[in-house]
Amino acid sequence: MTGRGPTIVQLPEAQTKLHRGLFLDEVKKLVCETYRPHLIVDLTSCEEFRAETIDLLLECVEEVEHADGRVSVAATPETAVILELTQLVSVLDVFSSVSEATNAAPVSVMRPVPKIAPAQVAA
Amino acid sequence: MELGALVVTQGATLRAAGNQEVGTWSSAWPVVGKTVLERWVDRVRSMQVNMVSVVDRGVSVPNRVQKMVEWAKDGVEQILVIVMGSYADVDLSDLVQFHHEGGHTITRVFDPEGPLGISLLDRRAVLRELPSTVAAKPRPSRYDFMGYVTRLSSTVAYRKLVQDALEGRCDIRPSGFQTSDNVWIDPTAVVHPSVKIEGPCYIGADSRLHAGVTVSGYTSIEKNCEIDVGTVLECASVLPDTYIAPGLRVRNAVVDGTRFEHLDRNVTVDLGPVALSAKRNSSTREIHP
Repeated sequence: MTGRGPTIVQLPEAQTKLHRGLFLDEVKKLVCETYRPHLIVDLTSCEEFRAETIDLLLECVEEVEHADGRVSVAATPETAVILELTQLVSVLDVFSSVSEATNAAPVSVMRPVPKIAPAQVAA
Repeated sequence: MELGALVVTQGATLRAAGNQEVGTWSSAWPVVGKTVLERWVDRVRSMQVNMVSVVDRGVSVPNRVQKMVEWAKDGVEQILVIVMGSYADVDLSDLVQFHHEGGHTITRVFDPEGPLGISLLDRRAVLRELPSTVAAKPRPSRYDFMGYVTRLSSTVAYRKLVQDALEGRCDIRPSGFQTSDNVWIDPTAVVHPSVKIEGPCYIGADSRLHAGVTVSGYTSIEKNCEIDVGTVLECASVLPDTYIAPGLRVRNAVVDGTRFEHLDRNVTVDLGPVALSAKRNSSTREIHP
């Protein structure tokens, strides 16, 4: 298992049961191979956002969250509205482009050690 | 003195053709129970004006003028022309009195931003039977109105009028009964006991709100709508005959069937393919005991 930068994926164009299954298999494989995976789903060129697309995104989030990872989405303003409407924004981060999603990857910051007052030390 | 009124609506033909532009207000949208057009007609009728004609802006100007000429020839003394472009709390009786007392031929109504599309014409002006001493085109007099006005320009303006009506900032009063502080519910609406309503809000005739729905923040749900289980509506207007799917969070938006306009983002989305909203059949209303 390795730790690495975000992985960019695109949803299958044809959302048949077979295509959805193949896509989820790929996600599962990535989750197994990566420590705390960060998946960026590129929906910027998604022409038809359907009810099945929402289900697939949710399944994707479920898989990634099991591995303590996270899912970001790069979406058009129209798709972003649907994600907000369905409250999917509470389980994934939405960005306007893939590069914005990539740049927003969190940076670990160590917390500074709290200062101890001399009185506390004396006590 | 006999008065006729000609109300010119905006864009009904445009809407019928399905060409409504993003961010534009349609005259067919009701504001807490009635359209602005219906409210203008009600106000004209309340002045005991029986001769009221409503024409679409698509009707050519000569045809509109022809109507006024016919009325003038039939003896109508004054003709009130309202070209729908705004909602204004103008006191039409006061306008008629101003026109009459000043002996004006044409009076046009203005607010500080410009003309409101409301004019009062004497039959002399319509028939052009003016004394030879007066120029062929009489100079219109100006009636300055300083009260409440909203121009029917955008969806944002539409939402503002809904909010102002619910807040009592203008003369528009919501239809139905006021159940509590600034909450109006039509008696034919069906609201599940678990629905949370935080006023000011409006729920129109024949609408149904399912269990767990939350309504707040100047939301208006017009007639024959259905809001499915657990959906949250905040600062939204749901236009007539609209179904909204369960579990959604609708905020700062206007929903008309499958057309969803988000006001913050200035984006319009078709929710049909994602099955999140739908147009209900207006002819199949549920009958409640």
